[in-house]
Amino acid sequence: MCTSVHRHALHCILPPYILSQIAENGSPEMRALAIRSLLIDPTIRMVRASTAGPVTGDIARRRAAAGNILTPSPLRTIRDAGGEPEAPGATVVRREGDGPTGDLAVDEAYDGLGATFALYWEAYQRNSIDDAGMPLDATVHYDQDYDNAFWDGTQMVFGDGDGELFNRFTISLDVIGHELTHGVTEKEAGLAYFNQSGALNESISDVFGSLVKQRLLGQTVDQADWLIGAGLLTARVNGVALRSMQAPGTAYDDPVLGKDPQPGHMNDFVRTNQDNGGVHINSGIPNRAFYLAAMAIGGNAWDRAGRIWYNALLDPNTRANTDFAGFARVTIDVASRLYGLGSAEESAVTEAWQAVGVI
Amino acid sequence: MTTNKADDEPMTGEARLRIEGGLAHFPGLAKEQTVCFGDLASAQRAELASLADQAGFFDCTSVGNRARPDARTYTVGLTIGERSREICVAEPITDPAMAKLVSVVRRLSKQRDGDRE
Repeated sequence: MCTSVHRHALHCILPPYILSQIAENGSPEMRALAIRSLLIDPTIRMVRASTAGPVTGDIARRRAAAGNILTPSPLRTIRDAGGEPEAPGATVVRREGDGPTGDLAVDEAYDGLGATFALYWEAYQRNSIDDAGMPLDATVHYDQDYDNAFWDGTQMVFGDGDGELFNRFTISLDVIGHELTHGVTEKEAGLAYFNQSGALNESISDVFGSLVKQRLLGQTVDQADWLIGAGLLTARVNGVALRSMQAPGTAYDDPVLGKDPQPGHMNDFVRTNQDNGGVHINSGIPNRAFYLAAMAIGGNAWDRAGRIWYNALLDPNTRANTDFAGFARVTIDVASRLYGLGSAEESAVTEAWQAVGVI
Repeated sequence: MTTNKADDEPMTGEARLRIEGGLAHFPGLAKEQTVCFGDLASAQRAELASLADQAGFFDCTSVGNRARPDARTYTVGLTIGERSREICVAEPITDPAMAKLVSVVRRLSKQRDGDRE
């Protein structure tokens, strides 16, 4: 073991082809060690095949040192709370590699986590929430008539909705991407969840939630609906979604829910003590900035626009208390680093933030 | 038990609930709901009283933790007989009895709200 006091170099740094040479031609002691190391590899493969998840810790480090790294894949576990207000739910209903269960919420959560994992890995080479293969856990059928979904720090929790105003919360793929992205933000910039930094936190979840959906559907920027939570509101509600990134403030206008309060420009910034200082309200401003930047850049939003926003989230200058203007500066800086000073991408990002009155 | 002093004396009181946070902010839902015990069936009143006792509602230390992203914060007020208290609790609610109490108050509040429409 690499962690033992008496560690042996054979286990830690030699690639398999050299181990094979030693196993054939080395001294008896070295041959024994090489054979033991080679035997570990198929064992790891079997373990990984049975879980289809990331192998971390000593084994992962050993594999990485040997240059033998498998493509990361998600490790999903879906639990059923059975209508009780408990998370994680008591019953595991679908593990990684299991087939569909026929339970819509279970299968939508499973597929949604997979689509989100795929966006982060295939577009940004991020291995799960923590970039270290963190398992993706979700609990569905949480509580009764429960109209919400949230990230509790370790898992995603989804209610079934009340059937009157809201459908089940797994119905919108972007909502699943939204929740998982809260985990990413928590691991990276750690944007504090109130006032402007909180609204930025919410906006980043909307951005990548929308990108998960756009990528799965293969949509270009002009084909996307730029809605968050489409399908979540029942037919009784006068509305199309929870939010619109394209036109904040237009997602719903309903006698029971009220009118969508999101602004799309700093002139209409809402100062409030509710909603952690308006985190779900003022997120409309950076949401529209991303929409405008993506539209100006064109193509698939997860490519260049998404890459700029993702790298800005990881940038050391994005901190817990970063506000809209601070994040705008970081995105412009990232755009110039990735695509060149004065590039079309940098101009698009700059003009987007100007259009919403942030800079 | 459906009474608090004597078997023939109806339990009096009310439950109040205000929800903040969640996946979205809906102005129409961000208002306090009140459920009078007089509007509840005796079994519902008894369930509330029992859950309040199990959760130690009138004695517990209010945690006052901040909600995680998209989690809700519940401000729950209960008046049962001469006991009255209001506490603030954020999801995830780790105490099962408190989670059950909040769930029941939430659904009763919603049911009463629906009845008025």
